[in-house]
Amino acid sequence: MNDDTLTLYYYNDGLSDRERRDVEAALHSDLVLAARYAELKRQLEQWTRPDKEVAPPHMVERWHDSIDKAASREHVRRETPRHSFSFMSFAWGAAVTAALVIGIGIGVYFSGDDSITTLPGNTVAATDTPRNGVIPAAFTRGLQVHLRDTQRDISSLPVETAEDRTMLVLQIIQQNRIFERAAEHNDAQSLARVLRAFEPILLRLAADDIAPEDAEALREQLAFELKVMLTKLERDTSNSTHST
Amino acid sequence: MVAVLNSLSVPSQAEFHEAISTRSDRWFSACLKITRNQDLAQDAVQDALLSAWNKRHQFDHTARLDTWIHRIAINAALQLLRRNRPGIFEALEFDIEDHSETPHDSLADTELENSLSQALQHLSEFERVCFVLKHLEQWRLKEIADELNTNTGAVKQAIFRAVRKLRARMTSLQGEAS
Repeated sequence: MNDDTLTLYYYNDGLSDRERRDVEAALHSDLVLAARYAELKRQLEQWTRPDKEVAPPHMVERWHDSIDKAASREHVRRETPRHSFSFMSFAWGAAVTAALVIGIGIGVYFSGDDSITTLPGNTVAATDTPRNGVIPAAFTRGLQVHLRDTQRDISSLPVETAEDRTMLVLQIIQQNRIFERAAEHNDAQSLARVLRAFEPILLRLAADDIAPEDAEALREQLAFELKVMLTKLERDTSNSTHST
Repeated sequence: MVAVLNSLSVPSQAEFHEAISTRSDRWFSACLKITRNQDLAQDAVQDALLSAWNKRHQFDHTARLDTWIHRIAINAALQLLRRNRPGIFEALEFDIEDHSETPHDSLADTELENSLSQALQHLSEFERVCFVLKHLEQWRLKEIADELNTNTGAVKQAIFRAVRKLRARMTSLQGEAS
């Protein structure tokens, strides 16, 4: 009897009743086999000790926060019945809130803080040693590509089939998180906040219980916000290039 | 009675917060063992929480809330891993070791400091995921096969290889330590 069979016996899975009985009989009659099994069991049990990994505190905070936000969104939805007026539906509420959050965020990001500029060109200094408040041009270009891709994906998003829409939006969220983290790494906190503000709307759009008309409304709102952000980003990049 | 049943049926916001406060380390740790990537593990927990919240009306109290979220987080981690590295669970039914370095390996190295975690890095992705799901998460072989779109035979073989490699690795590590 080999160790593979003993492994399945240990897990109590993958052996028929008869095979289990055979193993038990063999363990009772064969002392060498019993010793081998005892050693295998000891090693396997050793690998179930508690883990050392601890979730980063800022992530735990974010998880708490996401539940509060989800609960608060539901509260808004409950208080604004869909049949009263489509503009007051949850999706519209979320879209309008999102527009405000993103709009304010974009405004603050692009006009309120002169210290935040984009470094033109492909200089090593720009890409390798990002200073506080200065966004490397390579990152800006990457962000522009991401936003354009998102804009294209959003415009062709299937609003009728929830499954396809969910998969596509989850991919967009994944990409968005990468750029959000990159923005944080580049000390572009305002930009990170703007990118973060997209996520609740995208998550809502990914939900499988959203009505097609609400999905369409969210999609249009996102397309508009992306266009605004891209235009301002391109203008800002162009200004930085001309001023140097 | 109805009120009691109703109050039992849907987990509250406070219960979610309680679960996050007491169990999120475990969710994160399990997802980290699946993904070997801190960012993906964080995202998996985030996605799982929102998914659990949106589906909390389906929670049937056959398990504890934190156990239910744990399971959703594992599924989310597998989904993220599959999306980030397509084909990761395919054609790995033979004996290979995964020596490929990912950009996050160095980060994962610092996170996975204990000897089991070190040893897990010497398994292929398929072996590691099968072993973690079987040994640490206690899934049935059939469940693992269904989740990874393969058959139970392939899962068994992966677990056998994983156990053999881990035993050899751990014996060697213990030998070095003594």
